[in-house]
Amino acid sequence: MRSRGFSRRDIHRMARSAGSRTTTRRPDVEMTTLEAVPETLQNQLEDLLEGEEEIKVAISTDLRFDGTYGKDWVLATDKRLLAFNQNGAPTPDIQNIALETIDRIEIRELHGNNFMKVRTAEGAFEVARYSKRFVPKFAEAAPEIELLIDKVKPEEVDTSKRPRRYVDPRRKKVRCESCGRPIPRWSDVCPNCVEKGKLIFRLLKYAIPFWKVSVPALLIMLVIRLVDLYPPILSKSLIDDILVPATMAITGGQSVDPGAFGQLVMIVLMMVGAHVFTAVFSAVRGYMMTWVGQRITLTLRNDAFRHMSILSLDFYQQRDTGNLMSRITQDVGRLRDFIAEGLQDIIGDSMALVYMCIIMFVINWQLALWVLLPIPLIILFSFYFGHKMHKVFHILWKRYAGISTILASTIPGIRVVKAFTREKYEVDRFQEQTHMVFEGEMNAAKLWTLYQPIMTFMTYIGTVLIWFVGGNQILNGDLTLGEITLFMTYMTRFLQPVRTLAQMNRRFLRAATSAERVFEVLDTPPSVASRGDAIELPNMRGQVEFRDVFFSYDSEKNALNGISFTVNPGEMIGLVGHSGAGKSTLINLVTRFYDPNDGEILIDGHDSRDIALSSLRGQIGVVLQDPFLFEGSVADNIGYGKPGATRQEIIAAAKAANAHDFIVKFPDAYDTMVGERGVRVSGGERQRISIARAILKNPRILILDEATSSVDTETESRIQEALGRLIQGRTVFAIAHRLSTLKHSNRLVVLKEGEIDEIGTHEELIAKGGTYANLCEKQTELSKIRAW
Amino acid sequence: MEQPIQIEDEVQFLDPQRLKINRNQFAELEAELPDGSVHAPVEPIRAFPLTQPNQYITLLDAQKNELGVIEDIKLLKKADRSILAEELKKCYFMPKITKIHNVAGQFGVTEWEAETEVGSVSFDLRSRNDITALDGGRVLIRDIDGNRYEIVNYHRLDPKSVALLETQI
Repeated sequence: MRSRGFSRRDIHRMARSAGSRTTTRRPDVEMTTLEAVPETLQNQLEDLLEGEEEIKVAISTDLRFDGTYGKDWVLATDKRLLAFNQNGAPTPDIQNIALETIDRIEIRELHGNNFMKVRTAEGAFEVARYSKRFVPKFAEAAPEIELLIDKVKPEEVDTSKRPRRYVDPRRKKVRCESCGRPIPRWSDVCPNCVEKGKLIFRLLKYAIPFWKVSVPALLIMLVIRLVDLYPPILSKSLIDDILVPATMAITGGQSVDPGAFGQLVMIVLMMVGAHVFTAVFSAVRGYMMTWVGQRITLTLRNDAFRHMSILSLDFYQQRDTGNLMSRITQDVGRLRDFIAEGLQDIIGDSMALVYMCIIMFVINWQLALWVLLPIPLIILFSFYFGHKMHKVFHILWKRYAGISTILASTIPGIRVVKAFTREKYEVDRFQEQTHMVFEGEMNAAKLWTLYQPIMTFMTYIGTVLIWFVGGNQILNGDLTLGEITLFMTYMTRFLQPVRTLAQMNRRFLRAATSAERVFEVLDTPPSVASRGDAIELPNMRGQVEFRDVFFSYDSEKNALNGISFTVNPGEMIGLVGHSGAGKSTLINLVTRFYDPNDGEILIDGHDSRDIALSSLRGQIGVVLQDPFLFEGSVADNIGYGKPGATRQEIIAAAKAANAHDFIVKFPDAYDTMVGERGVRVSGGERQRISIARAILKNPRILILDEATSSVDTETESRIQEALGRLIQGRTVFAIAHRLSTLKHSNRLVVLKEGEIDEIGTHEELIAKGGTYANLCEKQTELSKIRAW
Repeated sequence: MEQPIQIEDEVQFLDPQRLKINRNQFAELEAELPDGSVHAPVEPIRAFPLTQPNQYITLLDAQKNELGVIEDIKLLKKADRSILAEELKKCYFMPKITKIHNVAGQFGVTEWEAETEVGSVSFDLRSRNDITALDGGRVLIRDIDGNRYEIVNYHRLDPKSVALLETQI
């Protein structure tokens, strides 16, 4: 027993230090069951506690009994439990309950709030009310208080009525441990604590292997951006050096310089040359960067899928399929865009701006300042507008999603719609939704149609400014006509990079989120994995022993509650029990889809966690209730578990599974495509294909999970026959609601709420007259009714 | 020929005049049924907690067996009604938000500071899906821990609260 706690003397000290403690964001969420007691309670404690009585548990609530937010207290010493309830009065109500009168602590779970109750011989008192946020804290405190109770009770305590509370260390965290902020539903990482810079750096690592292509591509772009700025300079010298002198000569009645035509041809050729240069190299660069981008996608996608394939089932259970798929398809694509294009765009656009500024400032710094004047205005407007647009588009996006939802529910459910003649209702619902989309689109259009003119107008302000200021400078002889034309051209070219850079932040954020989602997959360690020193078990005998096995999927309820029994090699065990009794969980642990939270499973005397996963699963065969057929031919599906199986083996397995006869009747026999886009295969046929799959694998341990529950009686007898062949000489775990399926079982294990209720042969259990006998009786009655 | 069953008869309504609702000495809910049997603790369950909170209240005994259904708590005797209403309020804790002070965060992962009719509160959401907007401006919120909050009609909130909420729904 750990010794912690504090005496009455310590209280003052603790209260003082609590006051000066630097507060983290939400100190009240901290999972401690010994909080610092506030000074207001101390005087009362002085009177209530005896000399050396120590406070062992001190927890605060966030709700009062009257249903308002506020802080009440539950304290426990080694002698008593104290509950302080501030019921609007200046001094709190105090419940002072001696520990030896308490049987157990109960938690009453309600909607949006819980109560902690103290059960004594007479009845149960409420001592604390708290919101769901404090559930973990009170769940931890309850057994601690019970331990204190057990110590003062003179007689042995009956603990059987107390729930076995088990806090799973793997429980999915909802809040970040370091900053207390919420963790998104789709993620395991705290977006706040991931350093964005680090993420981007990690992303760049994927581009590094291709630096031989991407660095030249970047250099080409910098050159292109530079060359791009050259034609306006050419125009300027064309105007200033050739056209204006020529015009002046003509108006002055003089002849034009004879060399002028040659110069004109020269400049025009240079303009063409510059454009040809940029066009050719843009194309080359585009091809190079697409190659880099696609290579990155290739690597990332394969890395992500490879890692996903080794992740354990709990990873998949916490996330939906669409979410995981989008990480490999969309998010990876977004990352490619960012690494391959986004970063280079940012560099290129910034450089273009810098080049233009330098040129303009060199030519005429006063006018350059005027050109830059409207830029902040344009940036601000882009931001403001981007924000508004985002909101409108989000609403619109939601409405489109509404259309998809209606379609996704009515099309598969069309039989129900028709059977209940609700076509009109569905049409109305759909029309309403499409109308909302229409309105949303028009709202978006309102904004868009405003955006373009306003943007043009702002740009126009810049143009007018240049005309006015530059024109004035021309009048004073400080500026030439060519220079003002150059400024005009650059003014229009300024806008695009400015807008791109203004949106950079959003682009950056979006890439960072996608990176998080992809890296989350890559960074999650599989919870079930082979140890480095895992042993191979090539010739498994098939003995399975459960030793006090506990398991919980969600830490709230134990799916298995201390299971112990041994299965001999070649023995068939029938698992019986209501749904939720733990039958499937037991099987999931044998196959090591999950590992037990406590206790161990021994296979041939070895802890299953010490056996290499490939060796273990290589010798376990599974036939499920609703077997899954992959996209591919029937032969592919039968041979799935044994790569390189011969044709003869496949046919033999199909024959043993009573599947051969119907397979040869398929249009392409064993080559018939099944799965999503293949032919329709009935439940019973699928079942037999999956039995053939298991037979071909020749496993030492066989698992039959409701293998015959979804088929008619005739098919069932054929499947039974096939199964009879399959179970010969193997250790078998069979789950079935129909008890007749279990008639071959050597022993039956009856599970009830995660515990073994009964275990024995059919005859033994019938003779015992317990749960199994009861179930059998009910099913016999049922079959009589059916027969009748 | 037999008539099809009348499905209305399937619901066992408790006669509101012959039902007695009390609290026992431990402040637990106690029900005396029309047949004279006394049950405690009794747990009231709302059949329509969101749409009809005060109608169709099922009473369960300690073993979770149904004792009967109260059609409408308005039909109960006054003393019984106030006890049941009080217990329901306790069992279904969903404070009504009257003002939103602040919403911080991105992509629907947000930290909220709000005022409710039972005091000020701060809570966290993990995704936009935690907010359900219903007809008539009614909004239901479920936070990261499973606590629930309600906004009766968000259009009636102050402009700042509306603006903050509208960024999230």
